[in-house]
Amino acid sequence: MEFEAVIGLEIHIELNCATKLFCDCPNNPGDEPNINTCPVCLWFPGASPRLSRAALEKAALLCLSLNAEIQSTSAFDQKVYYYPDLPKGYQLSQAHLPLSRGGWIDITDEDGSVKRLRIHHIHMEEDVAKLVHEMEGRKPVSLVDFNRAGAPLVEIVSEPDFRTPHHAMEFLKALRAQVRNVGSSECSMENGTMRADANISIRPKGTSQMNTKVEVKNMNSVRHVGDAIAYEISRQSAAVQAGEKIVLHTRLWDPEKKVTTPMRAKFEGPCVPDPCVPVIKLSGAEIEALRARLPEMPAVRAERFVKQYGLSAEEASYLSTDAEMAVYFENLIKEGVAARTAMHWLTTQLMPAVKDKRQELWQTSVTPARFAALLKMLAKDEINANAAREVLTHLFESDESPEAIVSAKGFKQVSDRGEIDSLIDKVLGDQPGAVADFKNGQAKALGFLIGQAMQASGGKANPKVIREILTKKLEALCKA
Amino acid sequence: MDSVFFYRNTDKTVSSSGALRKMKIALQPNISVAGWPTEAGSNALAGFKALENATVAERAVKESAQLVGYTRMSEFGFGLKDSMAGAALKKNAADAELVLDLAGEARLSAARAGVCGFKPSYGLVSRFGLAGLIPSMEAYGILSSEIKNIRDILQSVAGPDERDSSLPDEKTPELKPAKINPKKTTLGVIKEILKEMPAKERESFEGKLNEFKKAGFTIKELSFPDFSQFLAVHKIVGSVEASSCAGRYDSVRYGKREPGAKNWNEMYLSSRGAAFGTLLKSYLIQGAYFQFEGYSAYENACRLRARLVNQMKSLTGHSDFIILPAINTAAAENSATLAETYAQFIYTAFANVTGQPALYLPDKKGEGLQLTAARLADGRLLDMGEYLISGGGK
Repeated sequence: MEFEAVIGLEIHIELNCATKLFCDCPNNPGDEPNINTCPVCLWFPGASPRLSRAALEKAALLCLSLNAEIQSTSAFDQKVYYYPDLPKGYQLSQAHLPLSRGGWIDITDEDGSVKRLRIHHIHMEEDVAKLVHEMEGRKPVSLVDFNRAGAPLVEIVSEPDFRTPHHAMEFLKALRAQVRNVGSSECSMENGTMRADANISIRPKGTSQMNTKVEVKNMNSVRHVGDAIAYEISRQSAAVQAGEKIVLHTRLWDPEKKVTTPMRAKFEGPCVPDPCVPVIKLSGAEIEALRARLPEMPAVRAERFVKQYGLSAEEASYLSTDAEMAVYFENLIKEGVAARTAMHWLTTQLMPAVKDKRQELWQTSVTPARFAALLKMLAKDEINANAAREVLTHLFESDESPEAIVSAKGFKQVSDRGEIDSLIDKVLGDQPGAVADFKNGQAKALGFLIGQAMQASGGKANPKVIREILTKKLEALCKA
Repeated sequence: MDSVFFYRNTDKTVSSSGALRKMKIALQPNISVAGWPTEAGSNALAGFKALENATVAERAVKESAQLVGYTRMSEFGFGLKDSMAGAALKKNAADAELVLDLAGEARLSAARAGVCGFKPSYGLVSRFGLAGLIPSMEAYGILSSEIKNIRDILQSVAGPDERDSSLPDEKTPELKPAKINPKKTTLGVIKEILKEMPAKERESFEGKLNEFKKAGFTIKELSFPDFSQFLAVHKIVGSVEASSCAGRYDSVRYGKREPGAKNWNEMYLSSRGAAFGTLLKSYLIQGAYFQFEGYSAYENACRLRARLVNQMKSLTGHSDFIILPAINTAAAENSATLAETYAQFIYTAFANVTGQPALYLPDKKGEGLQLTAARLADGRLLDMGEYLISGGGK
């Protein structure tokens, strides 16, 4: 029997707000344990939660970036359970009246067609504390770090529209691009600012029944989500073929062994309306004001880049995914760099260098103005590509202008024909073997001789001029 | 051991310029005062000292009140068992007391002490700093023999507070005194309540109505067949909120932890089991039942609450004030069980469910009255109290 999978995702995203959701504590979970705490996030007697407006706005922008419909009324509920990571016996979450309903992401399916994957709803909630299990001698102890308690989260619950691992991975990539683009979160699965759980069930292909699902957790990259879903589909298919019954439970993805294993069932508590956090009312005008703050969406921007700058669809889509990169690209163009040069040097040289130095594009010392000055010298043949790459590494280390670096370090390209001419004569004299090879019709020898001439110039000669003069001289030698 | 005070403040320094100068106010130990043992009458908070001042305490001190200490209270203020509310007034150790009113505790404590007891409208006074139990129903009751004291305190502590975002976004009503003209004032009486009263109480109650009539008030009979539902709603919604609210008392960050637990489930069970008293425990377990097993009953109770609030709103629109009894003489004086506790509050719990103000006025025979009015008509209710206490404008 052929099976198809029915997959839905539940995605938690940590908002990059300065403070926690219900108090003014810094939202820096990675700080020294229990530094970022106060009577509210430790839930001391008499403390009273105050909803952060910044968190609400970031959450709402996130919803709008995913085509979701912000609700005029939303409210917090108490998800009741007792666990040491939860300082008050319940988690504040929106169970009955979520911040938004609906929404979708369009992805490109494996056959190239567009597939729309729908979102059921998006709600806000607070994160819980972090538990650290250690041994004090032979006695196991559990330590609680409340820095993360009360951190602002949103949870995106999709419709079960996904059928393949590809759908889930493409959905997550597009989601990350769109949310990063509005600036609500970094959405890094590796750093834990985005966590995705998958609900997977299978059914005979072509039927519409909904069978018992299995939840899979603990994937910390988009790739792992795809792998875990693929594994789970084959595991369930094999189980059903063998006549086993699928039971509702949760499994953990093991990235080492690349398998899912069952985990102990977590107690599901009830959700009761919270009487302390005020109900959130958003008027149509307020929602429109938020919508007006939305930046250009990646897909729209990519289309514009194709039209405006003549980039290919792939190039435009790659540049548009990252809002910072797209902005940087357009700044280079404003500085007078040709679109193709800007695209090529930004994506193949600057981005890897920035990443390598663990910097962010918006705060690197290689500003669009400095990088553009370098690329313009390249365009005018004042330096060659090798030199440009060298100068780029210097740009990271000093505040000097590219022009100053080029003249100080002697990167200026030599295009003087007389100088190159004598250089080539010397190379031809030193390499009679290569000249003989060329005469015998071995075209490779030309490349070798160009390289030798380049080396002789200390990498500064204009390669075009070398090739031109060398070719002429070799042809003359052949005729002689 | 001090039978009335749980903690006495030895610091007598006060500023001299405020509206509450020379007024001695006793608090309950669920109202945070930085450094005081804010234990809320519970072992769950044994040894806990407040870190910050509750807004009410801060505002009262700003108006030069002298906070004399914490009086002994029932666990988290639920019920009247072990509560010494009102005793400080009787002993002249305070001019006023702040007493949490969850179902009518402040009003009935006033009745015991023979003083006035006022529960303000929900949302008029910030609950910041209150170790509360039923967030959507609780209010600070103010006890004093003088309505003027009650009004002065209310004026000093009422109003918006950015630290309590559960306060409704509305204008603080006028609280200044104004005159009552009996000829232009209608007093409503709920006939279903009258019908259920024991004969002796009913006779006394009707006697008072006749006096009001003689004084020129218009008495109007009102019908509220569902009045008894208020207590049912309170039982379910109140206990659900209490169960959540007490969830933080888990011995993880503060409070006493019972030794010997092998894992944290045991730690919760043994610590919470040892911390809470029998009455509160049964209350919290009842709440947990409606959270987990009886959730649909809880949902129904919420719907019923909305309906009762609307019915009461329409009723308070048909009269200036509603007069009701306060004390259920059929209930046990010293309630030990949930059922006995609820029985005490059959005439008072409604105001906690709706959030409207209610005032207990004593009389010499210990057969005081309860007055209520529309939500935020607190000023008028105190005007009426003042009028009646002073002998009807004579």
